[in-house]
Order: sequence, then C-alpha cells, then structure tokens
Amino acid sequence: MYSSAHPRAYSACSGCSLCRLVCPMWRARRDPCYSPEGIAKARQSGAALAELAPALEACTLCGACDPVCPEDIALSAMIMALRRELPPHPELVALQVGYRQAAESAAADPAGALLLPGAAMRADPALHEKVTALLGIRAAQDDGADIAVALEIGGQIAPQRLRRFLDGLDGRGLVVGDGLLLAALRRWLPAARLQGLGEALGNLNAIRRRIASADFYVIEARAYHADHERLVAHYDALRKESGCAMNLDLQRIAMPPHASAYPGLRIGSAREDLAQARWLLQGRNPARIVVENAAEREVFRRVADVPVLHLAELAASNEEIHHA
Amino acid sequence: MPGGVSSRLISDWASALKIPPVEPGTVGPCPVAPDALQGIVRQQTNAARWNGAGWREFVAELGAAGVALAEGAAATGIYATDAGGTAYGLPHGVLVARSAAQVAALLMAAQAHRVPVTVRGGGLTTEGESVAYGGVLLDMTGMGRVLAIDAEAMTVRTEAGIYWHDLAEELRRAGLDYLSAPLNMTSSVGGTLGVGGIDVNSARLGCSADQAISLQVVTPTGEIVECSDSENADLFQRVILGYGQFGVITEATLKIRPYTPLSMHYYYYSTLREAIEDLQMLDANDASDYSGILTIMDCAVNLLVAFDSSEREAAFKATWEKRLRGHGEFGFALCVAGHYAMRPWKLGEALYLLKRKQAVFPEFRRAEFHRDGRMEDRTVVFSRAVWKHWGSRNMVIPDLATSADKFIEAVERGNAVCRKFFPHYTLYCVGIKLRAEHKPHYEMSCVPPDAAGWAYGCEFEPMIEDAVYSRDHFQSFKNAIYDIGVDLGASYYRFGGMMKGYIRRVFGDALVDRHLAMKRRADPAMILNRDVIF
Ligand SMILES: Cc1cc2nc3c(=O)[nH]c(=O)nc-3n(C[C@H](O)[C@H](O)[C@H](O)COP(=O)(O)OP(=O)(O)OC[C@H]3O[C@@H](n4cnc5c(N)ncnc54)[C@H](O)[C@@H]3O)c2cc1C
Ligand code: SF4
Ligand code: SF4
Repeated sequence: MYSSAHPRAYSACSGCSLCRLVCPMWRARRDPCYSPEGIAKARQSGAALAELAPALEACTLCGACDPVCPEDIALSAMIMALRRELPPHPELVALQVGYRQAAESAAADPAGALLLPGAAMRADPALHEKVTALLGIRAAQDDGADIAVALEIGGQIAPQRLRRFLDGLDGRGLVVGDGLLLAALRRWLPAARLQGLGEALGNLNAIRRRIASADFYVIEARAYHADHERLVAHYDALRKESGCAMNLDLQRIAMPPHASAYPGLRIGSAREDLAQARWLLQGRNPARIVVENAAEREVFRRVADVPVLHLAELAASNEEIHHA
Repeated sequence: MPGGVSSRLISDWASALKIPPVEPGTVGPCPVAPDALQGIVRQQTNAARWNGAGWREFVAELGAAGVALAEGAAATGIYATDAGGTAYGLPHGVLVARSAAQVAALLMAAQAHRVPVTVRGGGLTTEGESVAYGGVLLDMTGMGRVLAIDAEAMTVRTEAGIYWHDLAEELRRAGLDYLSAPLNMTSSVGGTLGVGGIDVNSARLGCSADQAISLQVVTPTGEIVECSDSENADLFQRVILGYGQFGVITEATLKIRPYTPLSMHYYYYSTLREAIEDLQMLDANDASDYSGILTIMDCAVNLLVAFDSSEREAAFKATWEKRLRGHGEFGFALCVAGHYAMRPWKLGEALYLLKRKQAVFPEFRRAEFHRDGRMEDRTVVFSRAVWKHWGSRNMVIPDLATSADKFIEAVERGNAVCRKFFPHYTLYCVGIKLRAEHKPHYEMSCVPPDAAGWAYGCEFEPMIEDAVYSRDHFQSFKNAIYDIGVDLGASYYRFGGMMKGYIRRVFGDALVDRHLAMKRRADPAMILNRDVIF
C-alpha cells in the first residue's frame, strides 16, 4: 500500500481485482471491461473515452468498489467524472430540467432539521408521510432532486443553483434519501449533521425492534458505501441484535438488487435486471424483505412471493409513529 | 562462410548454451543484459513477443466460427501485466471464455495458425506467467458459474474461471465451504489447480490441487476431455500442478466441507528457528486445524494457530499450548521493549515494528468479521490485509519450497538475503500435507522432489512502500533466493515465467526433457502458455 494521501487516481490501480468481486455490472457480464479495474487499467493504457463509454454507461454507481479498493482510488467518483464527458441522454437531461423547474418555485424552509426524501419516496406520498412522521422532521421544499439526477447522469449543475440549494441546508441536521446526494453533501457541507434514511430509521426503536430474524434486510448501497467504515459497525450491530440476513457479501459490502444503470430514475433506459435480485435471494428463505430504498421494493416484488416492505412500514400504527 | 556452415555453428552454439529452439513466428532470444541471471545458463528472462504472423486470417476464421476476439486498448490494456507488475506484454486480442466449446474452437484454430494462447484466471502470478506477449489472452473469469453442489457427496462442480471468493459466497448460502484455497480472494479455481493453492489449513488438508476430484479440460489441440485419477489419468496428472501446459481447465469437481468459523490464537517469537520448530511440532502432531507463520521482518514472528471446533481447541490447550515457546501479545511487547532498550541504535527498527503493528493488527480483529470470539471469512480477512498492507503495483514474492528437514535452513538463509536487499519485508511460512497417492501429480511442480509427509513453503516478500526499485534489483533479489533453492535441492511455488531459468537447475535435464517431449506431443505448435515453463 502506498502511504500518500488519498483518494488516489486510476494510475495507482495494481490490478488486484478486489473491486470486480463486488461490482454488479461485472457480475452481470463477467467481462473485465465492465469493472472499475477494467476502466482504471484501460485509462492506464491510454484507451479513448469512446472505448470506455459502454462501461461508464452501465455502472450503477452503487459505490461498492470504493471501500474495497486497497489503493484508495476514488472509483465511483472517477466514473462520475468520466460520465460528465459523455454526450448527454436527452431523456435524462429532460428529467433533470423538470426537477430543477419544480425546485425553482420552492419556498424557503423554516429552521430545523430536514428530510431530503428524493424522487423515489416523493413518488409514494403515503410512505413519504409515514417517514416524516416517524422522523418528526419536515421534508424540504427543495430536496435537490435535480442535483441528484445530475450527479447520476453526469449532467451539469449550474453554480448558482447549487449555491441556492446548499444555502438552504447549511447548519441543519439532514436526513437524505438519495445515497449519491448524501455522499456529495458530505463533501459540500462538511460541518452538516448528515444521515442516510436507512440509518436514521434504523436508529428508531419503533423500527429497530421490529426487524425480525426471518427478515432479509436490504441496505441501500450508495449511502452505505459512501460512509462504509462507520456504517459497517452500525449494520453489524443491527444484524447481531436482530439475527436478520442482509444483502452483505462476505466482504461486508452491500449488493444492490439491480445491475443496470440509473436504477432509481424509472425511465425508459433503465433496464430491469432481475438476475441480480434473484442472486441476492438465492439459498435464502426470508419471511419478509425489508428495503431502505423505496425504489427497490418493485424489483423484489417481481422475484419474491413474500411481503416486501419499506423500513418505515415496519412501524405499523400511527400511535407507534407518534411515539417513535 | 557458406550458409549451411553458419547455421550449423549457430545451432551448435545454441545447443551448447541450452537455448531452446525458436518457435516459428517468434522473435529470437532477447539480446538484452546477457548477465541478468548470473550463474545460470543464459535464457531470456522476459519472453519474446510473438510477431503476429497470420493474425488477421486467424481472427477472421474464428469470427466465422462465431468466436469474436476483442482488440484495442480498453480490451487488452487490463492484461498488460500480472500481480507482480514487473513483466509487461500485451496480447493482440482477448477472448473472455464463456464455454468449453468456445475454448476448443479457439485452440483448434490457434494450433492451425500457430498463434500463442495465454490463459489467465485471476492473473495473480508474479513472474509474468499469465501475461501474453502477443497472441490471444484467454480470460477464464468469464466462466464463473457454480454448476452443482452435492451436499451429500460433499462435492461441488464449478466452472474453472470462478474466483475462490465467489465459490465461497455461493457455498456459504448452503452452510458449506471449500477445503483450502489461496488466502487471496481473486485467484481462480483453474489457475490455482495448475499451480498449487496453499491455505493456512494446508498442513492438515493439503493444497487446493489435492482437493480436485475430476476436471473438464480442453487439450491444446481442442478436444474436450473429462479426466480424473481413474479416467484419462495421464492427462489429469499433467494438468494438476501443470502450470497450464497440458490443457485449459474449464470445469472442476472439488471436495467441500461444512462451513465453520474459526477461533484464532497468536503466539509471538523473536527467532524464526523457534517459531518454525513449534510450527512443525504442531503439524506433525495434528495439534491444530490451521497453522502458519507471518512475520514483520525477523523481529516479530507470529505463529498463528486456529481451530474449527471447541473440542480441537480444548485438546490443543490441554496438551500442546504449553509446549509452545511463543509469548502472548503483552508478554512479547515486554520482551521487545527490553530488547530495544538495550540496543538504542536500533530505534528505527523498533519504531517500524510499532507502526506496522498498529496498522496491521486491527485489520485481523475487525468486529464485523468476528462473532462470539470466532473469525468468520478468514480468506476475506487475510486477503484484505494482504492487499492493503503488502500489495502495490510491484509484488515480488520469491519463495522456497522444501522438505520439512531443510526448511529452517532455507528460511534463515532467505531471511539473510531479504535483510541484504530491503529495509523491510515479511515472511510467510506454511506446511503442506502431501498425499502419497498423489505423487504422480507432484512431478515437476512446487512440491519438492524429496519431500514426504509434509512440504514447507516460505514466501519472502519485500515491503515496497513508497520506494522505487529497479527491475534489476528485484531480479537479483529473486535470483539470490532461488540460488538457495538450487543449493538445497528445493522447489519453488513460482518457478515459471521470468524464473524459468531455474527449472532445469532444480529438476534436472532428464525430467524436464521428458516433460518437454510430452508437451510437444500434446501441443504440436507449442501454442498454449508457451512462455511459462519451456
Ligand atoms: C497478493 C498475493 C497473495 C497470494 N497468496 C497466496 C496464498 O495464500 N496461497 C497460494 O497458494 N498462492 C497465493 N498467491 C499466488 C496465487 O494466488 C496463485 O498463484 C493463484 O492461485 C493463481 O491463481 P490465478 O487464478 O490468479 O492464476 P493465474 O495467475 O491467472 O494463472 C496461473 C497459471 O495458470 C495458468 N492458468 C490460469 N487459469 C487456467 C486454467 N483455467 N486452465 C489452465 N491453466 C490456467 C496461467 O496461464 C498461469 O500460467 C498469492 C499471490 C498474490 C499476488
Ligand atoms: S459503482 Fe458499483 S457498478 Fe459502478 S463500478 Fe463501482 S461497483 Fe461497479
Ligand atoms: S480494487 Fe483498486 S487497485 Fe484493485 S483492481 Fe480495483 S481499482 Fe485496481
């Protein structure tokens, strides 16, 4: 291992292949070009961007490769940066523009902690309401959905737009539903008190004690990997306490239930890939599947015939919610 | 001078120097640095690059048969080197294997067109054995499915490009585990069966190659053959531990066992000799399920001992633990403090030990890999630590494999070489139980010819850290270690590729020539992994 400061660039890749083991796009194809190692090595060999485009487009941005890389290469950030150099997808840009227009008309939020629910949860008003009630905080008028899309698709973020978004958040406690946005906020607002939605809900007694040993608990990969060193302990404790199975591999990396790009955007280009979700469940017989990310309920409902719940839905009654 | 005479002179000269005949289509022996391997009959250290004759026709013929080769920097660049990072070469094209039939089509066409094919699994060789110097790179990791788990017979049938880690992941869902595999998650089953596969339980269970019951092999001429000790035994014996010379392993049936987490104990020594004697005493008495030595130079020598069951652990505690001369962590820290207090001029070394301990020890104790005091997923724990704290873009790991009685001398002499060449290094020693009935498998392999009962291996791994060393420095270091092997009549885990100059010296001409003749019969155009051994 090199002792210089991290993160390091692709040139440090030693070819150990540890990132391949956790990469869902590699697992789906078993072609090393579709792996972080493949991208790093191709860059070392002077490959043109066009040659890398299929892999850059296929990456789920799950971030699993980041904590396993022994050379501390910021792999998902490298992929996001390279995606910004690819020609934009018109449909994805249109999605970003739509969210930005909605954000522009948002009113300022009163002081206090905020939930940034993200597009997937906003699409389910009942769940959204339940989560805000459980956490006892209000949802931000502007949750940066357009910025989250831009991060994912490699779109441009206008500096004024970013400043306005961050000004509204600075100094608050924030619970963030979108894992990519959460990771970016950690860089942009180093002093903020930030939590992912899964961690915040999992810390509530009303939820935690209802996680059962027969559950299959699905950690949201992006938020987990972006803060892996800390969260691995959080989830290990939860696993030991509840006895549930989790979507953790033997390296304690969270395997996401999809292997295709743009998983949460629910647009035409998001190819449904059920093989990865089936692999997660292989050899397991859970009585229930509990997900942290609302967008992941659908894929499990298609491959399993047991109830699939969002974590917030474990706290069933309103009374419980008020006491959470 | 008439042409006939000059070519005869050249061939006399070549045979006097034992330079192997140049295969059609290759460039001749490397003219660079004829003294790079001092004391060794001159042979090139880095393979000659195949010149690409007939490549386009070959690609077209394969394309017509539905086998597409990938070309270009993105496809080939990933294979530019192996884990060693000192041998470099690019293939002309790449095939990510998907089926035995496809591999067969490739090899048939390659024989006809005399195109070299280099097989690669995890690419964890360090001497360029899995680097293609032109021709086709056949990447086996595309064949990574588990085909069938038989929990009654306790066997698994798997495609051979699978990483041991992926195999473990799948077996674990059924409460099962493989027997022994490299402490490295990204080595493949096929690549490992061809070279050995040493685990910290190998002193009890043998090497990975000993766990193979049967194989599906594609021969160098493109036949798909099932082989085992009872079916096509000649082929089986040559493919196991055969460094990919006699066929491509496409499927394997392996023994498996129930999964158990293990309880680990560490004993610390300040001399290599005592630690090795204790290791061999434990192995000879079947006193533990896992055993091995991992050091920080020769100053902190850690004997690790582990158990699958509380019964075995209790028996060890009752009978064997008291015979060990190592200390617990606290006792050892006191000894070390006393040692360096008397030798203040060695403060730098003491500080290095402390720094290294602080960096590495927590890695082996991470809470998420332990439950109720037992370690889960030992390979993950070790492999993560190895890559994080030992890995880098250059990994130079010469080794010596000897019979039990020569081992201490081998390690002590190798240790002296390490001290001479590098400020910091690690030694890793482990025993390998040999199976008398597998003697034919062991011929011309990492198993030393004179070993019986157990063989012992020691890896000498310099810490590269932020330093930059020349390739010559690494090569001289490796030569100095390997010369000890010649002297002792030992063998090596990594004897191919850049170190193949030692093969004739340790195994002798008669054995090597016999294997070469077998190779020529099996692979008439000498296309399969041509630069690895012969
Ligand atoms: C950091 C590190 C740690 C290591 N730790 C250990 C350890 O603990 N124990 C241990 O035993 N070894 C260890 N090794 C060595 C390495 O793991 C072994 O050499 C490994 O098992 C090789 O597997 P591979 O898939 O990487 O093979 P490769 O390196 O890809 O290939 C090895 C050889 O086999 C050939 N080959 C590959 N696949 C096939 C196939 N399917 N059919 C026929 N031939 C094939 C190749 O051409 C090559 O000659 C370590 C190496 C490194 C770099
Ligand atoms: S972010 Fe996920 S999908 Fe993308 S390269 Fe890393 S591990 Fe693979
Ligand atoms: S984990 Fe890091 S160093 Fe290893 S292959 Fe992947 S990118 Fe390279």
